[in-house]
Amino acid sequence: MKKIEIGSLQKIVGENNVSDKVADLYVYGADASVHQALPSVVVRPKTIDHVQKIMRYANKNKIPVVPRGAGSGTSGHTVPIDGGIILDMKCMNKILEISPQDMLVRVEPGVVDDDLNRALKPLGLFYPPAPASSRIATIGGEIAANASGVRSVKYGATRDYVYGMKVVMANGDLVKLGSNTRVHSSGYQLERLIVGSEGTLGVVVEATMGIRPLPKFRCLAVANFDKLEDAGNAISEIISSGCEPSMLELMDKIGIVAVNKAMDLGLKEVGAIILFEADGNVKEAVDFEIEKMKRICESHNGKDIKKSYDLAERTKLFSGRKKLFASLSRYKEGIICTDLADDMGVPNSKIAEAAAKIHEIAKKNNVIMAVYGHCGSGVIHTKIMLDPKKKSQWKDAANVIEELYDYIDSVGGVTSAEHGIGLSKAPPWKKARADMIPVMRKVKKALDPNNILNPHKIMDAPDDWVGATNLRYKVG
Amino acid sequence: MGLIGKLFYMKNKGKFNRLKKWEGELNKCIRCGYCYELCPLFKTNNWESDTPRGKLLLVYGMITGELKPTQEIVDKIFQCFYCKNCSDNCSAGVPVTDILTDARADLIEQGFEVEGTIVKIDEDLCSVCGVCVPLCKYDALSIEPDGTGKEKIVVNKVECRGCGLCVSACPSGAITQKEGCEITIPEIHEKVKELIKEDGKKLIVFACNWSLFPGMQLSASPILVKTDYGIIVSMCSGRVAPELILSAFEEGAWGVMVAGCPPEECDHNGNYKTRRRLVLLKNVMKELNINPKRIKLEWFSTGESAKLKSSINEYLKKVEKMGPINKIEVSKKLEARR
Repeated sequence: MKKIEIGSLQKIVGENNVSDKVADLYVYGADASVHQALPSVVVRPKTIDHVQKIMRYANKNKIPVVPRGAGSGTSGHTVPIDGGIILDMKCMNKILEISPQDMLVRVEPGVVDDDLNRALKPLGLFYPPAPASSRIATIGGEIAANASGVRSVKYGATRDYVYGMKVVMANGDLVKLGSNTRVHSSGYQLERLIVGSEGTLGVVVEATMGIRPLPKFRCLAVANFDKLEDAGNAISEIISSGCEPSMLELMDKIGIVAVNKAMDLGLKEVGAIILFEADGNVKEAVDFEIEKMKRICESHNGKDIKKSYDLAERTKLFSGRKKLFASLSRYKEGIICTDLADDMGVPNSKIAEAAAKIHEIAKKNNVIMAVYGHCGSGVIHTKIMLDPKKKSQWKDAANVIEELYDYIDSVGGVTSAEHGIGLSKAPPWKKARADMIPVMRKVKKALDPNNILNPHKIMDAPDDWVGATNLRYKVG
Repeated sequence: MGLIGKLFYMKNKGKFNRLKKWEGELNKCIRCGYCYELCPLFKTNNWESDTPRGKLLLVYGMITGELKPTQEIVDKIFQCFYCKNCSDNCSAGVPVTDILTDARADLIEQGFEVEGTIVKIDEDLCSVCGVCVPLCKYDALSIEPDGTGKEKIVVNKVECRGCGLCVSACPSGAITQKEGCEITIPEIHEKVKELIKEDGKKLIVFACNWSLFPGMQLSASPILVKTDYGIIVSMCSGRVAPELILSAFEEGAWGVMVAGCPPEECDHNGNYKTRRRLVLLKNVMKELNINPKRIKLEWFSTGESAKLKSSINEYLKKVEKMGPINKIEVSKKLEARR
């Protein structure tokens, strides 16, 4: 890597959009993960031309470039492990086109998910993937991680909405991938290759995304369970019996206690809660789905079932789940919530078993783990809650990760269902998918021969995630 | 700085006596970032280091010794309007603004020169009339001896919330804030001009940041729907100086709406000042041949974005009926006084 000439970058994007101030480097060196590493410079492009010029400069001088959206990644995707340029894409935040006739939108990568939905709502439309972090997450970041959220059980993930995109490649070339239609069969589906590539293959500078009509009716229901196992089995049966929930969420007791402490919600501290929702344009059909799911919950000892069509009431019922992630930090004094082992995917039939196994592994290794998530689509969210000051707790966390992912692999699950691999999930992922690594390296080499785009992530990430970068917590 | 002061300074250099206690709380921040889409400062500057979570990271770096405090870090920490959207919406319950207040006190003790969003007083222009002192709800302004037998206004840099009420109330224009956060009178004036001249807006809405957060969110969103109104987040409604409203008419606005918190709900008591000021301004408008109905003051509570939207649309219809202002001319009464 050659020395970065700030002046060259300033010439491209203007003086005010380049910073090598310590305050900026320190902040842009971290995301929502446990990792932290300093970049050499932060650059804010505003146009496609800016991105092309920056990439040409970086490629010529072999300088690492890490594209970054909201920095809400949980596994260190945007932590610049080799230094170099952080490409802050948040200034490219224009909605370029909304076409209700074509049921698509064309956006710049820095558009925030909620902003897009705010613009679509008056037209009776919505962009469905919406991860829980939709308030800040950018479309570019969602593409990079193939993000999904609470409604993935019905509407799928980001990849299902990507029609086409413009991408700046490592050498600065601009390519247009995909189409303006929901399906296409015109050559390699390279737009799909970019989805989930975590900024390692190209910089998305424009995306054409599918949108859907807003359903007229949404009904949300909540069921309490004394046993987590019962709740897990109820979810498995709801899915396998052909119900069509638009949301099917689980929260275990640890999660319930945490949101009660953080937000004073007064939820009944039972073994687990399931939130299930149905949506549609015919109320009777929505009622039918809700009733069916209600009966399944009851057959698995679900009780105190409440339901509502009212937006305010639904928002209230869902508020605990919405802010659960952050609330986990309040579960116990001296213990904090770290973004580790956070989003494994398991087959539908294994929900209850996996939930029990997670608690068992946590207990064995002296940490606390909440089990929650979009279990209807097989996504189990956990977080490792530990005392960050104790060095031994990081060893405990490493043990949990190893044991837990061995189990997940053994039941046919995946390391990450919606957050991506980055740094902290790379070791278990590499162990589970050793066969994929040579192919992925060939793809990477073909598209980025100088290895400048977000290097040393996913298949090339270090084998020891604890020592991969500085931890952003002070240990000891 | 005297000898004792210097000794005190050396003793405290690099110490974070107040901040140390927050280390555990800072660990609780899971950096979800939910705080920063609510931050007006971030909306303006768009640097992650201006976000609440960014500032907390800087504070954490300093108290754990990883980061040496420098002027540029201090400048970031002191940029905050204390709207508390971040603290109020943090689901990890991290008291962001309390931590930033302690950071201010520690950094001042360490001898840093600070500016940020804090008001500063041009002593050459200030007549020490004292109008500003009782205005400040945070007791951040006081009259002190200046050491030469006279008096001066002193700003408490820890307590100043940057609401800017004193800026618009100072009859001598002696109180200012640093430019760059889009809250100074010249900056807001530029925005008014841009909205009217470039975007062709007919109605200018000055919106309070505190009560109108969803409105602000709406205004900052890159929506494609063209509107005939433009929203300017002016922080507290109390800082909408009369000259800003008059300049909007001068630039060609058909109407101006000032939106603030309802009585009893304003953090700064700025809404009362606005109400009084607008009554006076309406009288002046008659003398300028401008229909006083072209100004409207309305109260909105937190979260009333639907009410805001319908009020704006309703008022816009009235303004459109009135049409553009033909000519601003000084009445004979005023002319005679001249």
